Amino acid sequence: MSKGLEVKDLNIYYGSFLAVEGVSMSIEPRSVTAFIGPSGCGKSTVLRTLNRMHEVIPGARVEGKVLLEGEDIYGSSVDPVNVRRTIGMVFQRPNPFPTMSIYDNVIAGLKLQGRQKKSTLDETVERSLQGANLWNEVKDRLKKPGSGLSGGQQQRLCIARAIAVEPDVLLMDEPCSALDPISTLAIEDLIQQLKTEYTIVIVTHNMQQAARVSERTGFFNLSAVGKPGKLVEMDDTQKIFTNPTDKRTEDYITGRFG
Amino acid sequence: MRDEFRRALATAEDTLAELADLAAAAVAQATVALLDADKDAAESSLEQNQALRTRLTELENNAYNLLALQAPVASDLRVLVTVVRLGADVERMGSLAAHIAETAKRGSTVPEPLTPIFRQMGEVAQQMAIDAGAALRSRDTADAARLEADDDTVDRLRLELFGQIAGEWPYGAETAADVALVGRYYERFADHAVAIADAVVYLVTGAVAE
Repeated sequence: MSKGLEVKDLNIYYGSFLAVEGVSMSIEPRSVTAFIGPSGCGKSTVLRTLNRMHEVIPGARVEGKVLLEGEDIYGSSVDPVNVRRTIGMVFQRPNPFPTMSIYDNVIAGLKLQGRQKKSTLDETVERSLQGANLWNEVKDRLKKPGSGLSGGQQQRLCIARAIAVEPDVLLMDEPCSALDPISTLAIEDLIQQLKTEYTIVIVTHNMQQAARVSERTGFFNLSAVGKPGKLVEMDDTQKIFTNPTDKRTEDYITGRFG
Repeated sequence: MRDEFRRALATAEDTLAELADLAAAAVAQATVALLDADKDAAESSLEQNQALRTRLTELENNAYNLLALQAPVASDLRVLVTVVRLGADVERMGSLAAHIAETAKRGSTVPEPLTPIFRQMGEVAQQMAIDAGAALRSRDTADAARLEADDDTVDRLRLELFGQIAGEWPYGAETAADVALVGRYYERFADHAVAIADAVVYLVTGAVAE
């Protein structure tokens, strides 16, 4: 478990529109990497290319390489469904399957892999919910619908569902933007625990969140509307927030623009 | 964007520079008091120090509020860290000037042959505080180097004083102690001015001076 990613010369298109240009970076295993930048800079687009979710949009395509421990996830023999199992994703709005029970939500991904023994499933549900810091709150109502949980609990349920299939990498696209501050801090604590086992990449609009949870931060920006987004600077989070190298990063994080 | 926050940061930096000016005025008055046995000048120096302290408290409160409420990062954070750090330096400068003024107020006089040394110490110390304030305003790292040179001058003058005390000394032990202490006050005052200049380097580049 937990593998690093190497991104090489990534160009990302929506049809003929070049949305993101020339992104290269390396993402360390068992660490948290944050992407920050103004709206429309391409940070979520880049995140979605890391598990081939970008190409589900009609006309969307990618040039360049994304290597997971040396293996290109865009290789011709690679099954995108398998990529998405290895590189899981958590979205902005908690999206548990509303009619499914908490239990069934957690094992939804596993069921796609064929029949499993009940005892194995029980173990997975407990392990995943424990891993998502939700077990104690829901262990007595596993058969109740996931939609009955609070927003923060639902998001942790989605994280439990993502880790149930034991991915190598966990991508999070603004996982706290729909949550209240306390639930947000709970997810941030969870991210700190999860990074001991998983490689985590998080897109966030909350710069303080990036500062709090990540080891590395990448700042994306676009020079003008209609121009492609670019990775301006990527460095240790501590460096980015105390003394960034690029003036554009400084201007963004200090709120001079953005 | 964040116009109000930016104005508050600029005000904090300006205030710090003004505090360095107050320290300069305080040490200048203290030198007059010392050399001319001028008690009014001594009082005036002590008042400058008091004004410095009052404004410093206000400045520090503002800085803590901005730290707590505005979550500053990068160069904004460096400004506030610098304000809080240098607040301690200008406070010491004010206190050292006050020590000199109090020594004069007590009626201690400088033996005639030593007055040129103290006059020069006083002039250089005052100029260093003015330059430190100017460096804060200009954010010019070249000013830091100039303050180092002035600091060497003050150190040399203090050694000269020690040489005098250690040689033929007809003025008694109490005067010797006063001369040694006051020399030490000027020397420390100059060191704090240098610390301000070094902090300007940190403010601009993020590099901590060795």
